[in-house]
Amino acid sequence: MSSGQDEKPESGVTEYDSKKSFKDKLIWLGDHFRNEWQLYVMLAPTIIWFLVFLYKPMYGLQIAFKDYSIFRGVAASPWVGWEHFHTLFSNDQFIRAFWNTIKISALNLLFGFPAPILLALMFNEILHVTYKRVAQTIVYLPHFISTVIIAGIVTTAFSPTAGVVNTIMGWFGLDSIYFLTRPEWFRPIFVGTGIWQEAGFGSIVFLAAIAGVNPSLYESAVVDGASRWQMMWKITLPCILPTIIIMLIIRIGNIMEVSFEMIILLYQPATYITADVVNTWVYRQGLESGQYDIAAAAGLFNAVVAFVLVMVANTLSRRYVRTSLW
Amino acid sequence: MKMRYLVTAMLATSALSAGALAEEDYKIVDEPLELSIQMNHKRYPVYKEDWPVEIEARKLTNIHLKDVTVGANLRTDSENTGKTEALNLMLASGKIPDIVGSSRIKDFVNQFGPEGAFLPLNDLIDEHAPNLKKFFEEKPEVASALKAADGNMYYIPYLPDGKYGRAYWIRTDWLEKLELDMPETVDEYEAVLRAFKTQDPNGNGEADEVPFFARQWPEMLRLVTLWDGRSSGSDTYHDFYVDNGEIQHPYAGEGYREGIKNIARWYADGLIDAEIFTRGSSSREFLLSENLGGSTHDWFASTSGYNRLSEDIDGFEFKAFAPPASISGKRIEEHRRIPIKPDGWAIGGTNKHPVETIKYFDFWFTEKGRRMANFGAEGVQYDMVDGKAIFKDSVLNSDEPVNNQLYQVGAQLQGRGYFQDYNYEIQWSNEFALEGIALYDEGDYLIDQFLGVAFTADEQKVYDKYWGSIRDYMLERQQTWILGTGDVEAEWDDYLAQLDQKGLSEVLEVMNSAYKRQYGG
Repeated sequence: MSSGQDEKPESGVTEYDSKKSFKDKLIWLGDHFRNEWQLYVMLAPTIIWFLVFLYKPMYGLQIAFKDYSIFRGVAASPWVGWEHFHTLFSNDQFIRAFWNTIKISALNLLFGFPAPILLALMFNEILHVTYKRVAQTIVYLPHFISTVIIAGIVTTAFSPTAGVVNTIMGWFGLDSIYFLTRPEWFRPIFVGTGIWQEAGFGSIVFLAAIAGVNPSLYESAVVDGASRWQMMWKITLPCILPTIIIMLIIRIGNIMEVSFEMIILLYQPATYITADVVNTWVYRQGLESGQYDIAAAAGLFNAVVAFVLVMVANTLSRRYVRTSLW
Repeated sequence: MKMRYLVTAMLATSALSAGALAEEDYKIVDEPLELSIQMNHKRYPVYKEDWPVEIEARKLTNIHLKDVTVGANLRTDSENTGKTEALNLMLASGKIPDIVGSSRIKDFVNQFGPEGAFLPLNDLIDEHAPNLKKFFEEKPEVASALKAADGNMYYIPYLPDGKYGRAYWIRTDWLEKLELDMPETVDEYEAVLRAFKTQDPNGNGEADEVPFFARQWPEMLRLVTLWDGRSSGSDTYHDFYVDNGEIQHPYAGEGYREGIKNIARWYADGLIDAEIFTRGSSSREFLLSENLGGSTHDWFASTSGYNRLSEDIDGFEFKAFAPPASISGKRIEEHRRIPIKPDGWAIGGTNKHPVETIKYFDFWFTEKGRRMANFGAEGVQYDMVDGKAIFKDSVLNSDEPVNNQLYQVGAQLQGRGYFQDYNYEIQWSNEFALEGIALYDEGDYLIDQFLGVAFTADEQKVYDKYWGSIRDYMLERQQTWILGTGDVEAEWDDYLAQLDQKGLSEVLEVMNSAYKRQYGG
């Protein structure tokens, strides 16, 4: 995949010959830069962005192992070793939040990941152009509404007295349920809301991949008498499979990052048992007393888990589907 | 040097007590002195040099404040996290301005003051600030509450005046319609709420009335006081309280257990808003304007305003009533205006003019300074009538609330340390609020508040380690009990055991040691 490679500076150095002398190497390098400098200039913003926003902050990660005081600063705060991790893992609420994160993310992956693909395939089958555009615009819309408003809509829709869900249930003689205080309902509502909000927008990347499929494949399939169903299964899906895999790996990398603003807006102490995730737990702890060191430790732990998951997913995918991020 | 200050101080005090001297000299320095300031509050994200009150103060004192606020933002979440963030940013940037004013500054200065980020004020006040000194001598409990763990004072607070905050409110026109008396006891209160639910006081033929509602769901917990429990010791929800000189947590008490059991019963019977946990801050507005809400527990000033806002509802009358007597016959109002807020200002550790700065702080505690801090500029917002500051009609009759107008000219700034004057609020409170306050005044229902403690670093560690988890657990159990998915009677012993296991006794121990150190229990 090319998309992963423009972040690597050495990708331009392709004709390097290790047997040359040191002087030859220098000359080669000079020529190389003279010929290809435009590429490096184009690459520079990305490199700088990575250095400034991702690599430099890593210096601060050390506070996960320090008794951090903002006033003393990162360097002057004393080391405390693994103490903060000890605190985290001896806290049963953190452990619960960790498993909740995994469970919500797994549900998100299971139901939320296929949704935009299905949507893209369905849009692809719509022939009426105006209808297609209107439909697409409507499903994109929720993506542009702020989380706070979405949460307000959800709260109202699931209200036990005036909510549309309970009203409909009432028509069928069902008792009304106070959904947002029921732990067993939190995950379905949260995952469902996520799909409603993001599936449309997420389908754009798959639609783009579908648009990139060579039309001659379809033409020859039509000549051979393939049905639309067969064309979808035998041409469209295999052709966009690399995109699907890459999106899946990226998604797995974000598995610890559930949209916690939405959770904060929707959860209650009554639903902590299923709704409290690592990020909301850290938010509450941090807010109580500004414990940046513990929050950093939790963040570091999150990153390690995500890193391992991405490595595993990438390796599996390279081995079995021959598509991978690197 | 010291002698001269003392003399000036004595002169200043005597001049004040005389009060007759028309032109007092408030000049602190002969040549204008510039001091940098960070001021960040949810109502005014940065300090403005052209606030009329500030222009006046500059003229009087010759101290010029320059705004250097960093990290200002307008986030107004209830916990004020945006402000703490701004303070943290300021500290992390390594440059601490001469003066730092903010909401939620108390814990911040008490933590970083001892590390050297802020100057201790005790000696400065003793030697250079006669008005502050006098104030703290008259209110030793305030002086105690301000102290950090090292015994020093690091900030001058915003001190609210007036005692009354929230009260019980009820639709008196509904009472009349159903021919009911004002509830005097918890049983009568229950009967009234039940009547609201079943006898259709709004007359639309449906049982859609919401007898008890609250804008913030924890406000419903104040009801446990009707069964001799406690819900909080201060105006912050779920706070500790002082019981016979010992700090306790209300959520571990017998009265609380009894209270929650009954609240759960009320909730199950529909006497409490079914949606109380999710309806949010607009519930008062919605339920009152839709003619659905019957009773609540809320602020005097803003709630009384609904008598005007809901005029189109025939006969609408929403009045404060005295707290119903509890099962043991006690009448208490748990909420009151706290006499000291965690907001105010402090002197940065690198300030080169601490003496001038404390004198400047002192200026706002002079009669003149306090008046400016409360009422704005003379001749613009208020006039002096018989020695009292009276708002101009143009201010009182404006479409904009009086407090909003004052924020815009630099008065009632809660990032400034000053003593509020309740007269400022009385002048624009409506008759229903004043009537309610008179009722509460007569009955003397208020109880003492827990004003908070300052921890040493070691105590802080213990508190941080256990408290977050305990609180989460308490709230989880509490909600499930009220919602009826759990049973407080059956689970109580297990609950107490869990609290113990999660470290409640450790937390109470550090709370109490800090409390004794601070208030000399």
